Amino acid sequence: MKIHPLATAYRMRNSAAILAFLVTLGVSPGALAQQKVSRHFPAGKTVRLELKNLSGTITVETWAREEIKITATMETPTARFNPRQTDVGLVIDVVSDNRGRNDVGDINFKVQVPARSSVDLETRRGQITVSNIQGDLVRAHISTEGNIELSGINAARVFASNTIGDIYFDGEFATGGTYEFKSGRGVITLRLPANCGFRLVATAPAEKISMGQFWHKGMKLLGDGRRIIGDVGDGRASVTVTNYQGNINFLRR
Amino acid sequence: MNCEKYQDLLSDFVDGSLPQSDYDRIETHLSVCGPCAEARNDLEAIVGFCREHRGEYDAVPNERALWLRISNTLESELSVPSPASIPPGAGWWFRLMNRSWELSFPQLAAAVTAIIIVVSVVTTVGLRRFTFSAADSGVQTSGAPLALNGSSVQDRFRQQQQVVAYWNQRVELNKARWNPQMRETFDRNMSVIDAAVNDSMSRLTQNPHDEVTEEILNAALNDKVELLKEFADL
Repeated sequence: MKIHPLATAYRMRNSAAILAFLVTLGVSPGALAQQKVSRHFPAGKTVRLELKNLSGTITVETWAREEIKITATMETPTARFNPRQTDVGLVIDVVSDNRGRNDVGDINFKVQVPARSSVDLETRRGQITVSNIQGDLVRAHISTEGNIELSGINAARVFASNTIGDIYFDGEFATGGTYEFKSGRGVITLRLPANCGFRLVATAPAEKISMGQFWHKGMKLLGDGRRIIGDVGDGRASVTVTNYQGNINFLRR
Repeated sequence: MNCEKYQDLLSDFVDGSLPQSDYDRIETHLSVCGPCAEARNDLEAIVGFCREHRGEYDAVPNERALWLRISNTLESELSVPSPASIPPGAGWWFRLMNRSWELSFPQLAAAVTAIIIVVSVVTTVGLRRFTFSAADSGVQTSGAPLALNGSSVQDRFRQQQQVVAYWNQRVELNKARWNPQMRETFDRNMSVIDAAVNDSMSRLTQNPHDEVTEEILNAALNDKVELLKEFADL
């Protein structure tokens, strides 16, 4: 085989130039295989979003527009998602849409909704981040592992659960509201305003519940210190926190 | 001949259509029998009235049909036995079948109310039995927690293990289709829940009446079933 030194040098220079161009753009070669899809849906001021993902992150943010914007970044081109509009909102069920396909990889969702929305989010694996929702319901469920971060939340019902991963809640408890946080192994942190009121049932391994400045003498320790029950403030919201192996921390804003 | 036989012949007697011998015999009887003479007088009065007013009323369009209707009505009334016709020694079935069931409105309303109450009670009891038997069968299809009362921890654990075995079987069927990363994730997370179950079982062995541990065990077992169910879909 005859190698022409000039041709080889030319090819190497071209490859280097293409690579440099990609790096300049901030695009990795792997990213080129990803597929990004955006869709807009009309919505009223209050809307319900139901999203059931298989694997990947879910990020929900609010905006001032009365519409829902879904941006999905799909790891493999074979992945499908088919949003359905209902009378009350939008339903995306990736599990059903891809049933029977061997491996659809991660689908990362970024969703923008009106602030007065309710969101019901599920994924088998991956992080869920929700911010500034002021609607009736916020539900974030990860079947296996992934962190849950809920910030700026003011909803009457909040449910967050995972098996491995941290849960962080920063928001307010509404009078008469219901709040449940549950993890198998991870740190559950609740950051609350000083004037909040709730009735608490917190369960975790002994000495792993830290009430911080919310602790008072009226609280009861049960089961060798593995459960704390008691009222904070007016006690009008119901808060249940369960952690099989990890810590539970209460922080005052 | 008795009075009944004489009265059967009275109509013909009044019409004058009887043979002379019969006519004489009836007349002799009427002279000595007050009731029969009275019946003769009534019949003569009716026949006389009809003869006097003949032609004053229109004839019925179909006399035969009218008579048949009247005859049928009379026969049907005669065939229904009255309560008085039930013999004193008749059995309860005979009495029941020959009883007239005419109910007043309050009686009818009370009967309907009673039927509704009985049906409601039977339905409620039936549903409860069905629910309990479904729970006992071990296949729990919802994520509802196990009842804490009424059975020992071991019993509940055994029941829940049957449910776990059922869903585990379904997961194993599909597991080959998952990518290796998903399989590792599933196993790792299942081990976290299993650790919570085992820890609770161990604590309950030492302190069987620890309610907090019982609840943790209950929650962990239900979480395990939920996880299996969610992955059985994949």
